[in-house]
Amino acid sequence: MVRIFVIDNGGQWTHREWRTLRDLEVQTKIVPNTTIFEDLQKEKIQGLVLSGGAPRIGLDGSLGNCAEYLEKADFPILGICAGHQFMARFFGGEVKPSKIPEFGQVEMTLIKDDDALFEGVLKKSIVWESHNDEVTVLPKDFVRIAESENCKIQAMQHKKKQFYGLQFHPEVEHTEYGEHIFKNFIQLCEE
Amino acid sequence: MFNAEKFIEKTIPNLQKDIQRKALIAFSGGVDSTVCAALVNKAIGDRLIAVHVNTGYMRKNEPEQVKQMMEDLSLNYRFVDASKEYYAALKGVEDPEKKRKIIGEKFIRIFEKVAREEKVDYLVQGTIAPDWIESGGGLRDTIKSHHNVGGLPKDMKLKLAEPLRDLYKDEVRKVARVLHLKVSERQPFPGPGLAIRIIGEPTPERTELVREACDIVEKEIERASEQGLMERPWQYFAVLIPIKTVGVHGDKRAYGNTIAIRAVQSVDAMTCHYSTIPHEVLDTISTKITNTMKEKVNRIVYDVTNKPPGTVEWE
Repeated sequence: MVRIFVIDNGGQWTHREWRTLRDLEVQTKIVPNTTIFEDLQKEKIQGLVLSGGAPRIGLDGSLGNCAEYLEKADFPILGICAGHQFMARFFGGEVKPSKIPEFGQVEMTLIKDDDALFEGVLKKSIVWESHNDEVTVLPKDFVRIAESENCKIQAMQHKKKQFYGLQFHPEVEHTEYGEHIFKNFIQLCEE
Repeated sequence: MFNAEKFIEKTIPNLQKDIQRKALIAFSGGVDSTVCAALVNKAIGDRLIAVHVNTGYMRKNEPEQVKQMMEDLSLNYRFVDASKEYYAALKGVEDPEKKRKIIGEKFIRIFEKVAREEKVDYLVQGTIAPDWIESGGGLRDTIKSHHNVGGLPKDMKLKLAEPLRDLYKDEVRKVARVLHLKVSERQPFPGPGLAIRIIGEPTPERTELVREACDIVEKEIERASEQGLMERPWQYFAVLIPIKTVGVHGDKRAYGNTIAIRAVQSVDAMTCHYSTIPHEVLDTISTKITNTMKEKVNRIVYDVTNKPPGTVEWE
């Protein structure tokens, strides 16, 4: 069984991420973002999910020890919402309040169609959103994978590492390919 | 996937180990507290005392139905009618968070009183995952104080047992089915009851209005679902908006309140899509409410908000 932990940044849906992983037979646990990296290593984890956060935390919050994880991890990391925004800032991108924030149902378009995380996902699909801020400048080591009408960076990936950032929420029931995306992420962690 | 049989097998011995003496359960008659009561009853038998509080904000005939359910489950129960006290405590209160806190605190005080009389040391609650997630604490922002979490006073003297804490509603329903509980398919009803389906002060008169409207919405939607006109929603009810608008009744001017129809589809209440109610069903509901409550209600609106950005309940 693969071991993937969920780092809790205080999001409303942290528990949903845990549940989706648990339902897919992953050994998983929600841990606070103050956990030190060494303790995660001791747990022999193979992947990490950085949860969404309390309001505006992605904009300028430090998100506990998330920086340390991004600096040291040699396993895949999936940043969601505030986790994604923090990932972008950490690698030199920019996060700003959205001109048009998105809440609820949004149509997402894949720009890059050979991405492992989105394998089997249709070019256009329904995702659910809940954000006031967004990544406005992509970090230079990243590629853009998906966009929506009002948010150009819905998904991004590090060019060399298995680090992914998603602005939308794959963990909620109403995101069409949510579970599918998690399955793909689990596969990346198993490899 | 979640395995209800295994969950039951694991939970009962844990409860037996934790609860050495007597426990009390806040029994609302909903899926969560009924499943909880059934589990704890299996674990410790009649050392469990079920307490149902009639807050005055229950739905039509609900107190009688809950009493019958407690009988059917052979629970050792107490039925407390505190409606007058609740109405008094909420007099002049309009703020939704204040309503929730007052109701939550009163619940606990009543349970504490029974607990003292019965010498229990454990309070069992049917708290499920979204309850404590939405109640905030730590890093999380408070969306709403759920009565069974945020409403807990800091000086509470009872120990807390929450066996369903990590489950979602659909999983609780699975447990209910395995335990053969009739309540398994019942729609969720919030602890603060109709008080949070009345925007503004929840007076006894307004409560009567929303109670009647909720009853009509529930019956018509259930009828439509049974006839295959629509999918049965996750939750469906009426909200009283005490904003008056002008209408015409016969040749007379009318000036009454507004009722909103709310129905949502969901699996776990964490995200919801508003339900598509066929126009003919909306029409029947609208006509029934305005005709039976014509002195008080003369306008009906249909809520088409998803969660997010909305929540299921309005307060």
